[in-house]
Formats: sequence, C-alpha cells, structure tokens
Amino acid sequence: MGPYPCGSAATGWEGGRSEAPCAAPEIDGLLAGAGYRVRSSDLCHVAQRLERLESAMVGSSGNHVDFAHPASDAVHYNPSDLAAWVDSMLSELAPADPGPARHAPAPDAWEDQIYSQPQRAVAARMEEEEDSGIRLVHLLMSSADAIQRGDVALAGSLIDEMRLLLTRVNTGFGIGKVAGYFVDALTRRLFSASSAAAASGSPAEYEILYHHFYEASPYLKFAHFTANQAILEAFEGHDRVHVIDFSLMHGLQWPALIQALALRPGGPPALRLTGIGPPSPDGRDSLREIGLRLAELARSVRVRFAFRGVAANRLDDVRPWMLQVAPGEAVAVNSVMQLHRLLSDPDSPGPAPIDSVLAWIRGLRPKIITVVEQEADHNKPGFLDRFTEALFYYSTVFDSLEAGRASCSGAQQQQSTAVAEVYLQREIRDIVCCEGPDRAERHEPLMRWRARMIRAGLRPVHLGSNAFKQARMLLTLFSGEGYCVEEVDGCLTLGWHSRPLIAASAWRADDFDEDARPIPDNFIFNSISNTNESNSSINNNAAMLRRRNSNNNNSRSSDSSSQQESIHGM
Amino acid sequence: METQFDDVPLEHDKGKGFSINDNADLLAEILSRLDGRSLGVAACVCRLWSGVCRRDTVWEALCTRHVSGGAAAARAVVAALGGYRRLYRLCMGPVLERLPPARRDEAAHLSLSLSLSLSLFSIDCYERLGGRQRSSLLFLRNTVDMNMME
Repeated sequence: MGPYPCGSAATGWEGGRSEAPCAAPEIDGLLAGAGYRVRSSDLCHVAQRLERLESAMVGSSGNHVDFAHPASDAVHYNPSDLAAWVDSMLSELAPADPGPARHAPAPDAWEDQIYSQPQRAVAARMEEEEDSGIRLVHLLMSSADAIQRGDVALAGSLIDEMRLLLTRVNTGFGIGKVAGYFVDALTRRLFSASSAAAASGSPAEYEILYHHFYEASPYLKFAHFTANQAILEAFEGHDRVHVIDFSLMHGLQWPALIQALALRPGGPPALRLTGIGPPSPDGRDSLREIGLRLAELARSVRVRFAFRGVAANRLDDVRPWMLQVAPGEAVAVNSVMQLHRLLSDPDSPGPAPIDSVLAWIRGLRPKIITVVEQEADHNKPGFLDRFTEALFYYSTVFDSLEAGRASCSGAQQQQSTAVAEVYLQREIRDIVCCEGPDRAERHEPLMRWRARMIRAGLRPVHLGSNAFKQARMLLTLFSGEGYCVEEVDGCLTLGWHSRPLIAASAWRADDFDEDARPIPDNFIFNSISNTNESNSSINNNAAMLRRRNSNNNNSRSSDSSSQQESIHGM
Repeated sequence: METQFDDVPLEHDKGKGFSINDNADLLAEILSRLDGRSLGVAACVCRLWSGVCRRDTVWEALCTRHVSGGAAAARAVVAALGGYRRLYRLCMGPVLERLPPARRDEAAHLSLSLSLSLSLFSIDCYERLGGRQRSSLLFLRNTVDMNMME
C-alpha cells in the first residue's frame, strides 16, 4: 500500500486520534471538520480506494464476505486517518477470485484482482482526463501570466501546447469546453489584428444570441421577474407610470409586467414604456416593431399603453430630454446588464461615463431603479487577475448550462444551449482580448455597485420576500439541484452551487430634499421621426443637431454607425 | 326498479336512476373540484364529458382554488391571454408538478404558482403575437429531478 511516512497506520485503536509524528502537510480542512485526517494531495487516491473498497464489498456479495471479519481479528487502524484505514480494509477483504496471499504488498496486484481489465482502462482514462484538466488550467494561467509580462513567444508556445492537450481531452463538457473558449480568446488576443472583437457581429445577431441565452438558462428570467416585482411594488398607488428600459431587445421582460398591472387590485395604471436600443442598420425600425407587439398585448388586456423607442448605440449618448418624462408620473428605470458597459479602467483618470448617466437618472427622480448585473470582478486592470476571475466565473456558468442540457428533452432546447454558449463566448472574448475603450464587459461585484449607487445619491430599496419566493419557485422549474437564490442586504443573487453569478438590486431617488439639477427636458425639441406617428424612434443624428446641455465633461457623439468620436469640453 | 324520486312515474322508468349526465352544469360543478390530472382523464370519458371539460370555468376553478379576490377582473385578462385551460396546460400544470406533493395544497404556494404561471403565460402569448417561434416555455418540458426538492 502507499507509504505514508507520517501516517499512524501502525498504531492500535485508541479512544482519540493519534497525532502523526511529523507535521502533516495540508490536511484537508473540510474533512478535518468531519473528523477525518486526509492530506489534500492524497484526496484523489483516497477517493479511488474508497470506490474500490465499495465495489469489493458489494461485488463480492456471492462470496459471503463477512463484514464483521475485518473487525474481528485484525488490528484496528485509526479510522480518522482515512487513507490508511481504507488501505487496510482493502487488504483484509478477501478478493472475489482466489489470488495470492491477502496481505500482498504491491498495490498493482490488487488493482488487477479487484478491477477487471476494461474497468481499469476506464479508471486510468478518468485519471488521465482529470490530470489533463488540471494541466490545462495550469497552462492557461501560465500563458496569461506570460502575456501580462509581455513574453509573447512563451505565450504562443504555451498556447500550442494547450491546443495539443485539447485534442486529447473531452471538449464536450467541463473544463475542456471552457478551456477551449479561453484558448481561442488568447489566440485572438495574441495573433489577431487589433480590436478584432470590435467586429463581433451586428445587433441583430446579438439579439438572437441573447434570446437563446434567455431560453437556455434562468439568469435572464430571474433578472426580469425580480425587476418586475420591484417595479410592481413601487408603482402601487400610482395611476400614471413610465418605465424606461435601457436595453429593449425583444421586450421579453414587459408582457409579465403588463399582465401584472392589468390584474392589480384597483385596476391598471396608464403605462408608458420607453425602450432604448441600438439603431437597426437595414432601415427596419425594430424598436417600433417591438413596441407595436407590446401595445397589442396591452390592448388585449385593457391596459392603456404608449411606447416610445430611443435609438442609441451607447447609453451615454442618451439624454434625459429624449425620454420625455412627464411631470406627475411615477418613473422606473430598468437596467439589465447594461450599466457595466459604462465603466472605465479603474486607474484611468477622469470620470467614467457611468457617473454622468447615474446623475441624470437621479435627475429623473425615479420611484425605482432596478439594476441587474453579473456578479464578478472582470474590471481589474491587471490581465492575469482578470483572466483568472473570468476563467472561474465562466466555468461555473458553463457548468450550469451543462446541467440544464443534460436534463432537456427537445432538439430545440439542445440547440438553445449551444447558441447560449456562443453568447457567453462573446463576453469571454471581450474580457480577454479587448483593452481600453474597446472593452465593454466590465463586470463588477455587487458591493462595488452598491457603493457607487450610494455615492451617486441613490437610496437602496429592499427587494422583499415576494421577489425572493418568486425567484425560488422559478428555480424549481429548472433542474433544481444546482441553482440557489440568496438574499444579501436586500439584494437577490442567483448562483450555481453557492457561487453567486448574477445580482439584482433596487434603488430610488424620488425623495431627497436638495434641489435636483434641472432636468434638461425644457429644451425645445423637434423630433425627426421615421414614421408619421407619435410613437417614433429618435435617431441619434437628430441629437447632433441640437444644442447640447453642457453638464457632461465626457460627452461623446456618435452617428448611427458604430464609430465613435469624442468631443471634450463644451 | 324503484327510484329514489317519488314523482318519477315508475311505469316510464326504464330502470335508470338519476344520472350525472343529465345536467351539464351540474357536471361542470362536480368536475371543477377535480385536480388537473383527473380532469384530463375525465375529458376522455365520453363526448359530453369532453365538452364539459373544455369549459374554461372548470379550469378556472382549478387554477383559482384557494386564491382569493379579483376573480371577475382576472377572468377577462386570462381570457384575453388564452384562457384558463391553456394556462393550466402550458404553465400551471408544470409549475404545480414541480412543487413537493406535500405543499401542493397550501394556499400561499398555489397563489404564487398562479402568479408565476400568469407571468410565463403572458410571455408565451406575446411570442404568439409576434408570429415567431414560441420558445419561452420550452424549458417547462424538461425533466426535473424531484428528489432534489425538499
């Protein structure tokens, strides 16, 4: 059996645990809490030997193994030294087929007897896969470190090594799959032309990816349902309400709110929805199409509804006057995974766009601001740190998707999961490949968002038990085993196996005493509309022709393409 | 055979007593006390029962059991979205199935199940309006490991 120089295998049974003669390195903490002393480095072997012990005990059922036998005439080894104990148990159980003497010293002989040949091959392969997985992670870290230090040659050779390793590992699931995406991103970073990720597809493509991500996982549904619950509660008692959605997409969040408002005791309010989204390149007014569909739904359930679309490529191009907030209506601002795009590098000078956006949000005096963001720290300036964080974060997300795929029945669902992975791949590429103003996916953890919102003068709103119970019930509709909802200081997080992945919080700004900055919607405004109807999209070209408010130091202008020009100072 | 009702002339009695099928409304009243699965079975009994089981009021009674308030207003909204029968089939049924059996009759859980189902239902209705493929409820068809529920 494996030699354990510090082990206590030879000691007899004592009431308490015997201390190892030498300081045992790195005893696994979790098992220690349960009363077992196992070295962390031995965990793998101990697990395998426990499995063999089980199969030996169970498999030899026809052989009348006397389970009391090991206890009767053998030396009782200290069971808290789990490694030695399981080895001694294995050595005492009679093998299924008659073999050499029971206490044969060589472990390989036991492997031959306890395992049949194919089983042993499977076990060996599993070990190899596990080792390959660990090696992949190691190589990924090393190449990220090399890139951070500027050693492109080393990084390149490590990437080649990883590609080779990936051919021998199962890339259908688990670490192999995630590693594949990260290796791809690293390759792009090293060998592609600059800002390759800028050519990352059209908004229409992005919407399709988003839709599949919506279907394949509960994260976006959790975001929508939680935000809707907060908005519903904030709108109680108001009969004119206005929701501003920072990213309309297909408008999937709003049917549920419309329905809930329709059923609210006392009757529905008059609902206005302002949806912000990118302009459609091919002349179609996609925002208006979504608005029309929502209007039809609202009409069928008898909710007075008006829609307005605001086309903008970036949130900081939006100005409050475009939203046309009317006096006396209750305003809700909804941002699902949009605010992080407004952040900048933590160590870059000057205010980030987020500050000006939060300022004008506050100026609208909203009853509720719902913010849902990824719960991760992907805005670190150091590449290696960021890379490591992203690796662990996306491994967890992919794990959860994998569990969903395992339980899903239809081909369409399987396809959704595959496309959802492409959605995530986009994020990975952005985090790994892009630097400076090109990088949009600047996720920050909830704690930092809270601090930022409080600095901007917003007050927190507790999400309440209704939202929590609804989220929990929503999760039971998915493979319930891994997902968990937690409440942290009035915010809700959804995670996978106790790693929070997405966090929802709510804020308000309607009741402060100091005078808010005057909302700049008193400018004379003529809209250049694409249609003749009153609900129209406002093209950003119109904005460029207006006199602009000078309350932004970092105001940027853009035309309807994705090029950016910054105009500093006014 | 003697009947239980004195005013039914015995000579015209062909041997049948009062039948549950005599009055469709009464039948509906009785069936509306069943659970979803039994209603599905009842719909297969005969054409009369199948017709009665298609009535939305029967499914409304099933969905709004233990739920208080606002029935009339809710009826109009749910009808606009597609009706209670469809609501149960697409959403409420799968949601209730995921609840641990012990909790399925608790008022709080039923109320929450109904509101969650209505939200999902409205998204489905919205997708139907768009004419594009309806996929937002596909996840409800997945198998869920019930052993994991407490």
